[in-house]
Amino acid sequence: MSAVEPTGQPAANTVVRPAAGGDLLVRSSGVTKRFGGLVAVNNVDFNIPRGSIVSLIGPNGAGKTTFFNMITGFYTPTSGEIEFDGHPIVMKRRNKMRSLRPHEVAGLGIGRTFQNIRLFGTMTALDNVRLGANVHLKSRWWDAALRTPGMLREEAENRESSMDLLRLVNLEDRAHAWARSLPYGDQRRLEIARALATKPKLLLLDEPTAGMNASETRDMTTFIRRLRSELDLTVLLIEHDMRVVMGISDRVTVLDYGTVIAEGTPTEVRRNPKVIEAYLGRGAADT
Amino acid sequence: MDQVIQTFIIGLSNGLIFALVALGYTLVYGIIELINFAHGDLFMLGSMIALFLIASVFGLSASTPALQLVGVILLVIAITMIATAAINVTIERIAYRPLRHAPKLAPLISAIGMSFVLQNIANLIAGPANKSIDNLFPTTNLLSVFGIETIAVTFQQAFVAVVTIPLLIALTWFVDKTRQGRAMRATAQDPDTAGLMGVDVNRTIALTFLIGGALAGAAGVVQILYNNVTVWNLGFRFGLNAFTSAVLGGIGNLSGAVVGALVLGQINAFSDRYLSANWTNAIVFAVLIAVLVFKPTGLLGQQLADRA
Amino acid sequence: MTTLVVKDEDPYGHGIGGWLSHVGAVLFGIPDTYRRELRLHRPRTIALTIMTVILVTYPILNSMFLASFSRTVFPLPLPDDTTVTFMMIFGIMAIGLNIVAGFAGLLDLGYVAFYAIGAYTAAFLASPHWGSISIVFLANVPQGFPGIHLPFWIIVPIAILIAGTFGALLGAPTLRLRGDYLAIVTLGFGEIVPVVFRNLADVTFNFSLGPLTLAVEHVNLTGGPLGINPIDAPYLPFANVIFNASAGYAPVYLGMFLLVFAILFARNLERSRIGRAWMAIREDELAAEMMGVNTLRTKLLAFALGASFAGIAGSLQASYLGATTSDFFQFSTSILVLIMVILGGIGNIWGVLLGAVALTYVDKTFLPYVGQQLQQIAPSFPNPAQFNFLFFGLILVAMMRFRPEGFLPNRQRAAELAAHTQADVEAKVDQIVAVDSQAETEAAIDADPSIVLDNTGPPPGQDETGPDARSPETTDEEREL
Repeated sequence: MSAVEPTGQPAANTVVRPAAGGDLLVRSSGVTKRFGGLVAVNNVDFNIPRGSIVSLIGPNGAGKTTFFNMITGFYTPTSGEIEFDGHPIVMKRRNKMRSLRPHEVAGLGIGRTFQNIRLFGTMTALDNVRLGANVHLKSRWWDAALRTPGMLREEAENRESSMDLLRLVNLEDRAHAWARSLPYGDQRRLEIARALATKPKLLLLDEPTAGMNASETRDMTTFIRRLRSELDLTVLLIEHDMRVVMGISDRVTVLDYGTVIAEGTPTEVRRNPKVIEAYLGRGAADT
Repeated sequence: MDQVIQTFIIGLSNGLIFALVALGYTLVYGIIELINFAHGDLFMLGSMIALFLIASVFGLSASTPALQLVGVILLVIAITMIATAAINVTIERIAYRPLRHAPKLAPLISAIGMSFVLQNIANLIAGPANKSIDNLFPTTNLLSVFGIETIAVTFQQAFVAVVTIPLLIALTWFVDKTRQGRAMRATAQDPDTAGLMGVDVNRTIALTFLIGGALAGAAGVVQILYNNVTVWNLGFRFGLNAFTSAVLGGIGNLSGAVVGALVLGQINAFSDRYLSANWTNAIVFAVLIAVLVFKPTGLLGQQLADRA
Repeated sequence: MTTLVVKDEDPYGHGIGGWLSHVGAVLFGIPDTYRRELRLHRPRTIALTIMTVILVTYPILNSMFLASFSRTVFPLPLPDDTTVTFMMIFGIMAIGLNIVAGFAGLLDLGYVAFYAIGAYTAAFLASPHWGSISIVFLANVPQGFPGIHLPFWIIVPIAILIAGTFGALLGAPTLRLRGDYLAIVTLGFGEIVPVVFRNLADVTFNFSLGPLTLAVEHVNLTGGPLGINPIDAPYLPFANVIFNASAGYAPVYLGMFLLVFAILFARNLERSRIGRAWMAIREDELAAEMMGVNTLRTKLLAFALGASFAGIAGSLQASYLGATTSDFFQFSTSILVLIMVILGGIGNIWGVLLGAVALTYVDKTFLPYVGQQLQQIAPSFPNPAQFNFLFFGLILVAMMRFRPEGFLPNRQRAAELAAHTQADVEAKVDQIVAVDSQAETEAAIDADPSIVLDNTGPPPGQDETGPDARSPETTDEEREL
């Protein structure tokens, strides 16, 4: 039973934007993150070509989510540069590293999901998705208070496009259910719908197939591919499931102890002895 | 210049009293992250209880022989400390423990409610007007022994130091050296792990409230013997100052609370003397806001009870 | 550029014309809406209708039949006009605080400051206070009369603006703080503002910079402890009605008029993108920020808007009473409004209104009545009206313990408050059985005591914990009330 079905038509969510940063959507070099004495990410260079699906893998604690958190502006790197679509996310001002705030990064076009689902549990599925669209809505509080025609129009359109997104992830009949009442698989897809509502150019998926069985994983993999083609998205995945990684990634980067130990196509990486040692030697990941 | 020194001495005495109360705030915050709004009012209750004991039960006056005076005062301190400790533990049991897993602001709101309850109970029993006792100490200037006439250190001020300093030392010893003190520090750092390690978290928290309450009671006794007057809303001013002391020093940090209290004692004294008592509270609030906005970790840093 | 789904007809219109036609449509649609509601939910609609009619006509009925109903038909004393007017005033404030604490989840313990600011705005702009000048504009006062005298309907928007601005000023540096610290800072502000009003009765200063000199001698800025009086009462020229404390039931309707606008405003905000943003922030501030919500600005908006409601209430109160003084504005008033919000149902507009009505009744009518009766039976027994905060304090403790969501709960807040217990425990269990790297991180923290320990839990989806994410006072991931 497929969790995701093709709707045949791109949603009102389709984005057409000029490419500002050229080929590389994400450009980062020398990124380091130190927590006191602990170096979580160590001098990482990492680029993501536009339109590709890239996986970031590595044993637990390798620094993958920390890196995610730096791209999205939650952490400020201790040193290094990160640029998204030609816009710097991290800069050095007056000898101090500064990073854009997460909501600004979201506004630039990075959407994400979380490893431990972080939906707004007591809001409906529809409201969760509508919230994602906030970053691009234009009406202000006085428009809301007075219910001006502009606001009403925008609300109606938002409702439309949010329902379209719910349709995309096959949740439109659960639109008015509380997010936390949804089963696990639905919640994961809802999180993706919410991230898509922010109209991202880059979608960061943090272990999207965690807790899924083989058939659900296959569906999710197909879905991610469709996102890339139909919605013109670039996708960065953190994944532990090697079938997914090998199956859909154009390129794979492997982190261990905060350093890049391998980078290349899935086949290249799979054969890399350092990678094998990192996984088997530590016995932490599953294959 | 003499006036500055005199103001400084007054500030010192106030600061020491603040310190005892501030410790209560900082201990409780360190262990359960609760700003115990009602703590200042507990201090007020302590002074009320002491007043009752001194005036009505033991009938002390300026003419009581010195030895008897000292003995009874010690007794009053002991009784008051036990009473306020018991009250504090009870309050924790009914108002805060059931809310241990509620959203963080729930116990804060409960503490506010408790504060009003304590104030009104005092108002009910003791009436709205100031309650005073006669001055029990001789009024001689201790410094006149050294031939200094222009600056005064009164018996009251010496008394404040004589009572508060040993208590501060005793507390430090307790937190650092005893098993229960270690349990408190562990619970402050990580209650769940402490529980897994065999610490009875409920008892430890109750112990914290007990100690904080006892210190507030002692402070209350010192207060009534120093200022000779108490009133049902005394807790507001002292609570505000004590809490600001704790924040200024770094909330959760015991030595910080004392340092902050000494600083605030001076702020109070100098503001009262050179500005006007009308503005002192506002100034203390301004200090509090400034610390929270610009340096929330306080002067000595937000370290937990073990770095005292 | 977004590809829009283009509709054939555009029912929303544009600009003022569009808005007016929309408002018109809503107003003219009321009979239809009512008929539909009657058909679908007959008993409820009838009950609500009867209740509304009674409430709205109560002041008039009360004045006609006065005390004869009181304690005969109804066992308790019925509220008088002053009490009902204050029900409106507190109702507006409760709705305002509900925006701050209920919608956005920020605990404001100094709400009374904005009440005071609203009152003193009315005092400055509608009284003989500034005796040396005379500005009379559309007011019920002869030209040349000393002081500034603007009409009430101009003062209210000014009070909204000024109170809202102060709300923004207070919030801007402080909304980064964690919930309990924010509460204390707002408490401080709530104390400082009345103190400032009380003490600026005799301002003298000399300031000179080159050719520029500014000198004032003994200027009575705020009236000091005695306050400012008399303040002009609101006045309706067409009907020659004055809405002050001796005007019977008319002020109630003025208050009701303002209250209706307050309700509409709040409801519209609730069901808009900003209302959803507030809900999201309350539920999970970090996730909201990650989804593009500018959390600082959104919280600031809640704060400023909430403050402006108190501004309305304050200007109404001052104009109604004809006087103001800093004694009216104590910390206990902030708490009283908070109790109204909590008791009635935090997050629920009708709930907090109920709380406002109920507590105003208890405070201004019921407790004094009980006091009177007790006086006759046992003259030495303390007067409950003076110890009202004993009861209110107990109510707070009891509500937090037994029913924190209030009597008319907002479903979401009720769910949040209940869920917190379970989720909290589970999260703790997860933390304890976390992976090896956590131990490494903690070893690092122990080795370097300059790291401040973060109480806010692990950042998004982390295996490894990082205490340096944001300083602990700024990001609060835990749910707040």
